[in-house]
Amino acid sequence: MSLDNILTNWSRYRKGAEEGGFHEYEHQWGMVVDLNKCIGCNACSVACYAENNLPVVGEKRCGKNQAMNWLRIERYWDEPDLAPYEAIPTANVDAWIEGNPPAKKTELKPSMPSSYLPGLLEQDGQSFEQRVGFDGTKSEFQDFGASFLPMMCQQCHAATCEPVCPVAATYHTPDGLNAQVYNRCIGSRYCSNNCPYRLRYFNFWSYYEDAWPEPLHMQLNPDLSVRDKGVMEKCTFCIQRIRVAKDKAKMEDRKVIDGEFSTACVQTCPTGALVFGDMQNPESQVSKLWSYHQVERGKTKQNKENKELRGYRILEGLNTDPSVLYLERVREV
Amino acid sequence: MAVPHRRSSRYFLMAFAAMVLGIFLAASSAWADGSSGVPNAVPPKGEHEGKNVEQPIEFPHNIHVDINKINCMYCHTYARRSKVAGIPPTSKCMGCHLVIATDKPRIKKLTEYWEKKEPPRWKKVHDVPDFVHFTHEKHLKRFVFDNEGMSVDRVSEVCAFCHGEVKKMTVAHKVKPLNMGFCARCHEANKGPFDCWKCHK
Repeated sequence: MSLDNILTNWSRYRKGAEEGGFHEYEHQWGMVVDLNKCIGCNACSVACYAENNLPVVGEKRCGKNQAMNWLRIERYWDEPDLAPYEAIPTANVDAWIEGNPPAKKTELKPSMPSSYLPGLLEQDGQSFEQRVGFDGTKSEFQDFGASFLPMMCQQCHAATCEPVCPVAATYHTPDGLNAQVYNRCIGSRYCSNNCPYRLRYFNFWSYYEDAWPEPLHMQLNPDLSVRDKGVMEKCTFCIQRIRVAKDKAKMEDRKVIDGEFSTACVQTCPTGALVFGDMQNPESQVSKLWSYHQVERGKTKQNKENKELRGYRILEGLNTDPSVLYLERVREV
Repeated sequence: MAVPHRRSSRYFLMAFAAMVLGIFLAASSAWADGSSGVPNAVPPKGEHEGKNVEQPIEFPHNIHVDINKINCMYCHTYARRSKVAGIPPTSKCMGCHLVIATDKPRIKKLTEYWEKKEPPRWKKVHDVPDFVHFTHEKHLKRFVFDNEGMSVDRVSEVCAFCHGEVKKMTVAHKVKPLNMGFCARCHEANKGPFDCWKCHK
C-alpha cells in the first residue's frame, strides 16, 4: 500500500459512483438481508462476537454507547395504532390460538417512541412511558409492531470514512471491501464521525484485560488480532474467512465458488435471512437477488420497473453506494 | 572535443569489455546473495543479526542439507500444504536415526527423548508478529511449484530468501529482518499482492 496506490484508489471512487470504477475489482463481496425472515434473535450478533474476538464491555459501558457490536440488531416500533388487534387478556390467548382472533382494535393506545436505538435513548435513567401489556402487566414495550434490522458495516464503495482518515488506515481493497488496518490506526475517530450509519466502533479501553478472564482467552480466534485501546474497528465481512477461501481457491487454481464459505453471521442465521456472496459472479445467489430486486450498484436512486419489489439500500441517497441490500418487511395490515 | 560518431573501434572494444565485466560483476554480486539461481524471482534484500537461540539439541542443518542433500520439505513437510512449515515429529528423526549415527552424543540425547516419549522443546527462530498472516504454501507455489525452470530439488534456494543460508548453518539463526519493509520490497519486486489486508489481520 504505497502512497500512489492510495491516491489511485481514492481518485477512482471519488469520481462518483455513477462513473463506475468498481468493475475492475477482483471480487465484490455483497450481502442481502431479508427483513421478512429476520426474527430479531440476535444469533448473528452473538456469532460475530465469537468469530471476531469482540469484547463484551458490560452494562455501564454499553450505556455509554461503547459496545463493540460490529453487527447490531436495531429494533424499531410501529406506531401503536398500527397494531392490528385489540390488546387481549391472557385468558383469551388460548381462544385466539384455537382460531377465534380478538376483535380488531377500536381505540388508540398511548403513544410510544417510534424508534428505539439501544444505548442512545435509554441512558442516564431516562425511561420509557409505561403501558399495560396484553396480559395485564405493565410493560416497557408494546405488544405489536416490533421490527428488526441487522446493521453491519455496509462496505460502501464510496465510503465516507475513507477520505477523512489522516493516516490512510482505512482504504478500499481490490475485493471492494472497506478495510481497516489496526496497526496503522491512530484513533483520531474521524471515520466514525463521518460514517452515516454509525457502524464504526472505537476501543475506548483495553477491553481484553477483563473481557476474557483466564480460561476464556482460549476461545479467541487466532486468525484475527485482538485490538487494543485507541483503535477503531468495524465489521470486515469476516476477512479471515475470505482470505482462507481465496488462498484455497488459489492453491487449486480456480475461482472462489459461491457458497463455499460465508461470514459468521450468515452461517449462524437460523432463518436464512442473510445471504453472502460475490457480486462479480453473475451466478451467485447474491447477484441474482440484487438483479431480481432491480437494485444496481453506483446509483443514488433506483428506477424500478416493478414498484412492488422490496429491495432497498439504507441511505443510498447519500451516494455511499453500500454493498448490503435490504429486503423490506411486508406487514400484516 | 571528441565527436561521437568518429569514435575508433578501440572505444567499442573497451566499451564491450566494460560491459562484459559489468555483467560478470552483477552476476557475482547476485551469487553473493545466495539465490541467483531461482528463475523468475528477485530475492528480497536485507540483513539482520539475530540472536542465538539455544535449542534442546544442537541440530546441524549443514550435515543434513548440504552434505546429505536432504530436501527441506522432507522434514518441514507442512510448508507445501499449510501456513506453517512445521517442525518434524521425533518419529521422523528416529526413522533414520534408529540405524544411522546412533553412537553420536546428540543422537543419544535424541534417543533419550524418544524413549521417554517426550518431544524435544524446539525453540522458534523465525517468527512473525500475531497480526501478520503468512502462508508458506502460497509462497512455495509461486517460487517453486509454479515457477518454470525451477526444480523442487533446489527448494532450499527459495527458503534462503527469508531464512538465509540455513544449509550452511548448524543451529538455525535469523539473518533476515522479516519486517514489513522486507516483505514489501519482495512483493514489489516480484509483483506480489500489495493490499494491506492480504497480510495484516
